[in-house]
Amino acid sequence: MKRSGEAFWWALFSAGGVMAALFVPAFVLVTGFLLPAGDEAVAAERTAQFAAAVGWWPVKLALLGVLALSFVHCGHRIRHTLMDLGLRRFSGLLKVPCYGGALAATIWAAMLLWRI
Amino acid sequence: MTMSAQQTMTIEVFRYHPETDDEPRFQAYEVPYDEDWVVLDALNWIKDHVDGSLTHRWSCRMGVCGSCGMMVNGDPKLTCAAFLKDYYPRPIKVEPLVNFPVERDLVVSLDGFMEKLEAVKPYIIRDDVNDTSGGEYLQSPAELAQYKQYSMCINCMLCYAACPVAGHEDEFLGPAALALGHRYNKDSRDQGQSERLDVMLVGEAIWGCTFVGECTVVCPKHVDPAGAIQQAKAVGAQEYFKRFVAPKGAGV
Amino acid sequence: MSGQYHRPHGWAWFLERPGYVRFMVREFTSFFVAGYLIVFLVTLGRLGGGEAAFAEWLGAVSGPGWMAAHVIALVAAAWHSITWFAAVPQAMPIYLGEKRLPAPLAAVVMGYGPWLTVTAVIVWWVLR
Repeated sequence: MKRSGEAFWWALFSAGGVMAALFVPAFVLVTGFLLPAGDEAVAAERTAQFAAAVGWWPVKLALLGVLALSFVHCGHRIRHTLMDLGLRRFSGLLKVPCYGGALAATIWAAMLLWRI
Repeated sequence: MTMSAQQTMTIEVFRYHPETDDEPRFQAYEVPYDEDWVVLDALNWIKDHVDGSLTHRWSCRMGVCGSCGMMVNGDPKLTCAAFLKDYYPRPIKVEPLVNFPVERDLVVSLDGFMEKLEAVKPYIIRDDVNDTSGGEYLQSPAELAQYKQYSMCINCMLCYAACPVAGHEDEFLGPAALALGHRYNKDSRDQGQSERLDVMLVGEAIWGCTFVGECTVVCPKHVDPAGAIQQAKAVGAQEYFKRFVAPKGAGV
Repeated sequence: MSGQYHRPHGWAWFLERPGYVRFMVREFTSFFVAGYLIVFLVTLGRLGGGEAAFAEWLGAVSGPGWMAAHVIALVAAAWHSITWFAAVPQAMPIYLGEKRLPAPLAAVVMGYGPWLTVTAVIVWWVLR
C-alpha cells in the first residue's frame, strides 16, 4: 500500500503550530491593544513604527511565511477536529475548505502585503 | 482476612454472557474491605466465594503481565494496581476495557489488537540475519536510551481504552502498536524502518492520531506512546520530503 | 465471532474524560487563531489603505466589542502557545548522551525562551 500524503500536511501543520505559538500572541498584543490604545499622538507614533516594520520587504516575506504556515496549521487542526467530532467519512472532502481556505488566505495576505 | 466486624464495600460488575444475554447488565457484590486489597483481589474473592461464573483475566498480580486491565470507575487501570482504599467507601464500578469487543463479562477480544501489533513487525529486522561472525551487535548506553522507554510496554491495552481515535477509526494502529514500531525503528541494531513505515504511514494507521495524549496519561509503564507517535510522524514527514532529494530513499 | 458485545460510541465522547475536554479546548484554539489572523489581514489591508483609513480602523477597534474579541483572541493564542510548548518536549526529545533533557527545561529552551524573546522584540519595536 502507498504511504499517505498526510505527511506533507502534517509537516506544514507542525511548522505552522510553532509559528503561531511564537508570533500570534504578540500580533494580538500589537494590533488589538498597543495600537488602538492611548491618545492620537501615541497611536500615530506606534502606527508609524508598525508601518515601518511591516513595510520593510524582509519583514514582509517573513510575515507572509508566518501567516501561510499559521493558516495551514489552523486548517489542518480544524479538519482533524471535525473528523474527531464525527466527520471522519469526509476526511478527503474536508481538505477542500480547510487547505483551500488556508491557500486563499495566504494569497490575500500576499496581495495586502504587496500594497503596503 | 479477618472475619470479625468486617467492613464491606460494593463492587458493581459488568456482566455479559453471550449464550444467555443480549445486552450487558451490572451486578452488585458486597466484598470485604481490606486496605491492602486491590480491585483484582475483590474480583477473585467474588469468583471464589460468591459467583464462580464471573469471568476475568489476570495472571501476575504485580503489574508485569498486562492481563488484568479493566475500566475502574471509567478509568482504564490495571486492577492489580487499583487499591480499594482509593475508592472506599464509595462503590466501585468495574467494566471491560472500552474500544474492544466484549467476549464475556470483563474479558475483551484481543484479536484486533494482536493483528495491529503484528503488523508493525515488532522485532529486529536485519539483512544479515544469523550472521554473528563479527561478534555481538554492540549498542552504547546512548543508543539504548533512544528507545528504552518505548520497550517497557506490557501490552495491557489501557492506552487503546483511553484513546478516542482507537474507538472511532479502525485503520488506526493505536498507541501501543505504533510506539512499539517506533521502538524498533529507533534501535541502532535494526534495519527494518522502511518496512515498518510502509505499514505505519498508510491511510489513517498513524495519521489518525490527533495527539489527545490520554494514552500516555493512563500508561502504567510510563511508555509515553503519544510522544513516540509524534516522533514517528516526524520520521514519516522526513521520509516524505527526502524523496524529492533522493528519489530512491523514500521507498514509496 | 458471534456473541461478542460491541459497546456503542456516543457522539459526545469528548465529555467522557477531563483529558478529552482539555484536548478539545486545545484544538478549538485553532478556530480563534484563524479568526484573529483574518482580522490581522484586515488590519494590514487598512494599513495599505493609507493613514486615514488606518486611523479610522484603530478607532473602531478600540471599542468595547473589539476589545473583548481581542481579549478572547489573546487567551486562545496564548493557550495554543502553552499547549504547544507542553507537547514539543514529547514530540522532539533532546538527548545529551544517555540523558534526555527534562521536559520542563526542554519546554523553556524550545518554547518559552524563544516565545518571550519574539514577543519582547515585537512589543519593544512598536513601543520604542
